[in-house]
Amino acid sequence: MSVAPYRVHRLIQDLNRDPTLATTFVRDPEPLFQQYRLAENEQQLLREGTPRALMTLGVHPNLQMKFLRIRRAPGSGGPGPLASYLRDLQLEP
Amino acid sequence: MGTIAGAFAMSHVVFEPEKCPDKAARVWAGMREIARRIQALAPDLLVIATNDHLNNFTLALQAPFIVGVADEYTPLGDMGIPRTPFRGSREFADGFVRFAAGAGFDVARAEEIAPDHGFAFPNLLVNPGGRIPVLPFYINVANDIPPAPARVWSLGGVMRDFVARERAAAERVVVLGAGGLSHWLCEPEQGRVNEAFDRMVIGKIASGRAHELTSLTSEEIRREAGRSGLEVMHWIFAAATVPRARGEEIFYEPMPEWITGMGGIALTP
Repeated sequence: MSVAPYRVHRLIQDLNRDPTLATTFVRDPEPLFQQYRLAENEQQLLREGTPRALMTLGVHPNLQMKFLRIRRAPGSGGPGPLASYLRDLQLEP
Repeated sequence: MGTIAGAFAMSHVVFEPEKCPDKAARVWAGMREIARRIQALAPDLLVIATNDHLNNFTLALQAPFIVGVADEYTPLGDMGIPRTPFRGSREFADGFVRFAAGAGFDVARAEEIAPDHGFAFPNLLVNPGGRIPVLPFYINVANDIPPAPARVWSLGGVMRDFVARERAAAERVVVLGAGGLSHWLCEPEQGRVNEAFDRMVIGKIASGRAHELTSLTSEEIRREAGRSGLEVMHWIFAAATVPRARGEEIFYEPMPEWITGMGGIALTP
């Protein structure tokens, strides 16, 4: 299985760390593709942004999760997978 | 000399119960049983061996073993986990790093960690209110080149020796390995669960033969349990702190609905 070049992982790590950068990326990824010097096929697979495209590119599984979350529209998430368990522990999410 | 009062291992997250309510209920009951047993042991300190998910430790610098050395941590808050601070122990952590250096292990020290769900969720469960000081012990299985199971086993032995030789006589330490079992997160095989592998791991550890897992390579674990299944290393670490101890399976459910084999064990020193 292929492994994505570090420049791809570096971009996703930076998006995960910096919400402002993530917002910029979601609005228009092209300048960041240039800034991180991504190859054309890498750009195309990230534009596509599907789980299959990310696997094809060889993105680290943990970074795939982050990239998919970043690309999701804000507010589209539910209460989170732990909600009922946190209630059981009397810790409201 | 201090004492390892108990060693446990269990998966480090749960998911929505709706798709598989019966299995989810059994897993949750098992996790709460492990929490109950840990609290009943009244530990003075809790070691939680786990992995970060490239939130604190990224691919920019890939250290194999990292411990948190701060006196307080605030969770990252991923998956909706409350960002309630909890206690660490610089004194214990630095003592361990020094001891390990003398025993052939150069463990990295981390001053700033915002623990993600891999640490924060099991801690929330077994350490309510964050009252017990904890040592966040990271085995960096997310690295492209993870440590070998045999090294993880040896380092668990160093933890055992540290507690036995360096800690105060009355100190009681509980070790929890958190993560696993088999899962192929974001890999082509996602959804597969290798029940036979999971049961083999549980069986060996529960029967006092955990050391036999050191004959596996990290590549073999990855092949049999998925890249994310390398979290079984945390179980090996916990077992190594109480070598040849026998234990019991508290729960196991193969859960393709959660893309994971979910398990938990308790070892009696």
